[in-house]
Amino acid sequence: MPRIPRALVDEMLAHAREDMPNEACGVVHAKDGEAIAVIRVPNVSGDDGKGSPYRYLMDPKTQYELEVRRDDSGESLFAIYHSHVASEARPSPTDERQAFFPPGEFDRMPAYPGTLYILVSLRDAAPLDIRAWRVEQRLPGAERPVVTEEPIEIV
Amino acid sequence: MPVQVHVTSVIRNAVGGNREVSADGESVRAVLENIEVQYPGFRATVMDEAGELHRFVNIYLNDEDIRYLGGAETALKDGDQVSILPALAGG
Repeated sequence: MPRIPRALVDEMLAHAREDMPNEACGVVHAKDGEAIAVIRVPNVSGDDGKGSPYRYLMDPKTQYELEVRRDDSGESLFAIYHSHVASEARPSPTDERQAFFPPGEFDRMPAYPGTLYILVSLRDAAPLDIRAWRVEQRLPGAERPVVTEEPIEIV
Repeated sequence: MPVQVHVTSVIRNAVGGNREVSADGESVRAVLENIEVQYPGFRATVMDEAGELHRFVNIYLNDEDIRYLGGAETALKDGDQVSILPALAGG
């Protein structure tokens, strides 16, 4: 069961709340398998390069800088998180598509193999809902990829 | 003219699992075509059939997004570092 420190969970929840009404997004880095940092990434999915209540697109420059940071520091990509403003804390059909590269290529390996997708739902004011998922390539004959909830241990 | 191409995440599967590949070319497009020669099938992970870069691929030349340079036609020089990343996005 993936373990996530309470402070990191609180940071994701705070980020989700602060970015209302838009979706918040970011990553969780791990070192030696332990989640150690939540890093907020600007959501630039809107037409004006600002956020959107319906989509997220991580700022490519920040994403690139984080890639360099991981290479330099030995940190790994533990999770990709984002918020759902008005729907539940599970991957949407768009989330499923974007978990693959090119998007929607469900027969390939996921774009970030082994990385958790953490969803925060703001649908009901309190308590905030946070859940983690794995998205994996679809099984023969299936239409959608395999999406499995991964219970997280908050430590 | 060799440049180093840094490949991330699942795109590594299209280049034999390598993090870095060496490729020749005078432009980003030429380098991508050269990688295709080395690793057949690579091109389809970053470009559509018309040769346009996929919307959800980010390519960096020495810390600059090529969208703000010359796109796929951006000229390269010896020793340049190119990085290829899938966008992180969803709904």
